[in-house]
Amino acid sequence: MLINNFLVLGAVLFCIGVYGVIVRKNAVLVLMSIELILNSVNINLLAFDRLWAESGNNDGSVFALYIIAVAAAEVGVGLALVLLIFRNRKTIALDDLSEMKG
Amino acid sequence: MIAFSAPIVDYHALAPELVLAAGICLVLLVDLFVPAHRRWITGTISGLVLLGALLPVVTLAVLGGDVRDVLSGDGISGRYVVDNFALVLKALFLLSGYVVVLLSTNEIEDGGYYQGEYYVLLLSSVLGMVMMASSRDLVSVFVALEFLSIPAYMMAAWKKRDRKSNEAGVKYYLLGVFASAVMLYGMSLLYGIAGSTKLSVIGEKITLSGPRTGIEVIAVVFVIVGFSFKVSAVPFHTWAPDTYEGAPTPVTAFLSVASKAAGFVGLMIMVYLAFPLARDVYRPFLWVLAALTMTVGNLVALKQKNLVRMLAYSSVSQGGFILMALAMAFTNGSEESSLRAIIVYLIIYAATNLGAFAVVIAVARRTKSAEISSYGGLFNYAPGLTVMMTLFLASLAGIPPLGGWYAKFGAFRAAVDAGGGWGYTIAIVGAANAVVATAYYITVMREMWMKPVPEGADTSAVKVPASLVAALTITGLATLAFGVVPGIIAKVGSLTDLTGAFHG
Amino acid sequence: MIQEQQWLLSLGTFLPLAGVLVMLFIPKKDEAMAKGVALLTAVATLGVGIYTLVKFDYGQSQKLQFFTTNKWISPIKATYTIGLDGISLPLYILSMVITVLVMVYSWNHVPNPGNAKAFFILMLVLQVGMAGTFVAQDLILFFVFFELVLLPMYFMIGVWGGENRQYASLKFFLYTMFGSALMLVAFIAMFIVTKNHATNPDAANFSFQWFHANAPGIARNTAIWIFGGMFVGFAVKVPMFPFHTWLPDAHTQAPTQGSVILAAILLKLGTYGFVRIALPFLPQAAKTWAPIIAVLAVIGIIYGALGCLAQTDMKRLIAFSSVAHMGFVMLGISTLTPLGINAALFGMVAHGLITGMLFFVAGSVKERYHTLEIKRLSGMLKQVPHLGWILGFCAMASLGLPGLAGFWGEFPALLASWSPATILTDSAMGNHELLYRVLTVISAFGTVLAAGYLLWLYQRTAFGEPSEEFAAHGHDDHGHSDIHDVNVFEWIAWTPLLIGIVVLGVVPSLMFKVMDPAVQQLTSVFGK
Repeated sequence: MLINNFLVLGAVLFCIGVYGVIVRKNAVLVLMSIELILNSVNINLLAFDRLWAESGNNDGSVFALYIIAVAAAEVGVGLALVLLIFRNRKTIALDDLSEMKG
Repeated sequence: MIAFSAPIVDYHALAPELVLAAGICLVLLVDLFVPAHRRWITGTISGLVLLGALLPVVTLAVLGGDVRDVLSGDGISGRYVVDNFALVLKALFLLSGYVVVLLSTNEIEDGGYYQGEYYVLLLSSVLGMVMMASSRDLVSVFVALEFLSIPAYMMAAWKKRDRKSNEAGVKYYLLGVFASAVMLYGMSLLYGIAGSTKLSVIGEKITLSGPRTGIEVIAVVFVIVGFSFKVSAVPFHTWAPDTYEGAPTPVTAFLSVASKAAGFVGLMIMVYLAFPLARDVYRPFLWVLAALTMTVGNLVALKQKNLVRMLAYSSVSQGGFILMALAMAFTNGSEESSLRAIIVYLIIYAATNLGAFAVVIAVARRTKSAEISSYGGLFNYAPGLTVMMTLFLASLAGIPPLGGWYAKFGAFRAAVDAGGGWGYTIAIVGAANAVVATAYYITVMREMWMKPVPEGADTSAVKVPASLVAALTITGLATLAFGVVPGIIAKVGSLTDLTGAFHG
Repeated sequence: MIQEQQWLLSLGTFLPLAGVLVMLFIPKKDEAMAKGVALLTAVATLGVGIYTLVKFDYGQSQKLQFFTTNKWISPIKATYTIGLDGISLPLYILSMVITVLVMVYSWNHVPNPGNAKAFFILMLVLQVGMAGTFVAQDLILFFVFFELVLLPMYFMIGVWGGENRQYASLKFFLYTMFGSALMLVAFIAMFIVTKNHATNPDAANFSFQWFHANAPGIARNTAIWIFGGMFVGFAVKVPMFPFHTWLPDAHTQAPTQGSVILAAILLKLGTYGFVRIALPFLPQAAKTWAPIIAVLAVIGIIYGALGCLAQTDMKRLIAFSSVAHMGFVMLGISTLTPLGINAALFGMVAHGLITGMLFFVAGSVKERYHTLEIKRLSGMLKQVPHLGWILGFCAMASLGLPGLAGFWGEFPALLASWSPATILTDSAMGNHELLYRVLTVISAFGTVLAAGYLLWLYQRTAFGEPSEEFAAHGHDDHGHSDIHDVNVFEWIAWTPLLIGIVVLGVVPSLMFKVMDPAVQQLTSVFGK
């Protein structure tokens, strides 16, 4: 079925996103990786939505809309926080965030 | 395609959320029109709003009777409901929020931070929690979770020019967002399996019969991982100590109590409604999480020098006890005792921990420090605060006759009730941890009672502002009452029927 | 059970809390007022105790009297059930007497760093916990009271104790906490197992009655494990070898008042737990554990005695003698016979009076000489004759001289262990008669050692001439306070204990008569 292709795409995007979150040291790039994960979720949801559409159910597309909206808010806050860090430290490298340990 | 039919809204059931939403707007407006030196009024209003939102909760509890669908209509019913479970937890969140407002008043005012915005964010976060208690659908669980988290990220970074606070916010934000993204991926798979985002439908689809598909396992595990970040379960706890230490102390109190409780509520809703028959997947997973959380949290707490950081690790380890009860849900019919144990634990823990933070804030006003060594000889110049702190720490350690013992008792009972190898072993791990935990609580008591006052410390009597006195009175009385007559709280616990649970 | 005057025990138990409440509002500087209120409360509590003593129906001491039961935590089936029978009556009263006497003694002896208000509040809270443990007839209630004494004692040792107080108090705390965690798990397990096999599981609750009726039916192997959990909890408190190491430290470092309360009452919470909970509820497991307890008890006797001989510090010596004496108590319990358990209960009270008194004396010696090192003290009989004689009297009582209270704790315990309960000598269950006889002989040797270390202590500290370093103090040319004889507060505090030691020694039936019916009933679970 066609849906498998979408799910594979979603899974690949998800993996790339997780990889990016773990490996990247730059806060903005980490944010972008998280966005990738969210998009993989949206692809999944829409694919499943098509799958279940015959049963008269479109929860999936509703969910995806919510995720898009919330993700926008999240990124807004995230960028603000990154700006704050940049103002105080002149860097956005995550490895430098080490005021507290233990 | 089905034609759209507008759902019927039960405004009485929705009233707590409506009051909060109106309150948020009100605080924003007041903040805009009131001159800076009178901005303290925003705090007062926020407190009143939280208490005001409590009113409909009470009327719902008295008049409400059975379960109420907040939104009813074709295909909508059962996705956002008010039942006893929701009411008890809404009350808990609103009251915790109120105590946090009391804790914040002086701290935020003296710090010269943006007061109005602070309270708006606090109220928004509480609104998210209140929503979480009613959510019975993937979408609303997700929205509630984000609603409570996003303001919390900003509050953690509230001290704009303080590098530690920035760092606290960013760490909390990145891990929180990452966790919710992973959780969402799990949720998307759940939707794929069940064809609906309604939790009870998912619960019917994920059954024990037939082979467990890989996609089910991934979905359940990812969702649990997502919430594990929120409740700072080891190994997903790494943000907690840094965030707790860096954030303003009232915010730390809020995060470690209300936000954490909301995480547990979300996790409970998922386990009880969506995965009741998937215990072959979540039980081993939660079991290991619980054991790790208790043990690692305790061991690291032992070597902390900073009281807030120590409380952070202690709260990690306390979470382990809740996870213990949750892991044992749906084993040998122990789901009811687990559910009650968790609710009771959350309530008692909230009272106790908020109280401990109230003392920390009161003492820090004098010493400007949260290092444990700065508490030396506190008994000599602040006997009242010392006695209160002793009560709270003893309660956290689970020593009768203070609330904590009953919370721990319930958790142990749930584990022993479930029995079997899983239940008994985790109970013994828990018992060992309960003992280890007393060691670091006792360190603080020793510092306050037995060590000399540090050189050069000001030892005149400590003045405690009225709002903190109020917070200490509420939490202190609650901690004591829950321990001496746990009947009151146990009764509340036994009321909590989670709609749709126990029928899977 | 007799359900008359149901309020009496609650009043006796919680009255001290009223005093605490009043004291919270007394300013810290007004020490006399704080002390007065505390003492008044303790005396009033004792008054309630004496009233209880008068109203107690001695003809039916096997029954629970002043019994009352109420709902407490219904969802977990814990009840507020309290009652008093012949086993708990002596200990209940003893706890009240000791609190009053300790307060009288503290009147002008508040240890460093002062703060009489807090010190007296802690004593009142301790009193609530102690009295409550002895009247509780519900496992959860028992547990709560049992734990209630933990923190006040911790602070008493940790704040008002000697130089090494922090270490000692922490050790005390962690040992006890470890024991009680296991104990709690054992309690819960016992409840659930009992409930699962009972014929009417819906009626299950935590009251002692329920366990009396149902717990003995638990399968033997399960019961042995549950007993093990309780054993650790109680044995730490007693303390039994090998869980005793906290005791010498705690006693040495604790202020006099703390030592007295610890020795006189707190240690008894453990032995009382064995008699009240572990034996009657799990008789099938008790059979298996009894020989183990007996062996550990005798090790405790010998180890304690040898430990005493090695001590150079008077207080530490008394602490080790406690280990030995509690060994006799546990030996009596381990025989599972009425005689043995009677002896154990008597030994608990006698040890409370005698060792409490010894710690009082040690405290006063320390106050006068600023040392407890045995080799620096001598000639007390010459310098402080009354104190010296009292020390001698207590030493005699402690070594078990017939005619004084100590004798009736030790001698019957030895008799009982010579012929333990038939279930222990029943060949079908394994014959332990020989073991018990050997243990009897060894512990008899322990009494000889006891005589040895106590007389040695007395000879070195009381006889001879006052040592040079202290001889001059009588004339006070060093600016030190006089080494004076027993003062009036001490006389008031000590006389009742001294009288008690003599009276119980001469007329032991006073107590045996009260306890025996209850003990007979208790041991009936072990068959004839």
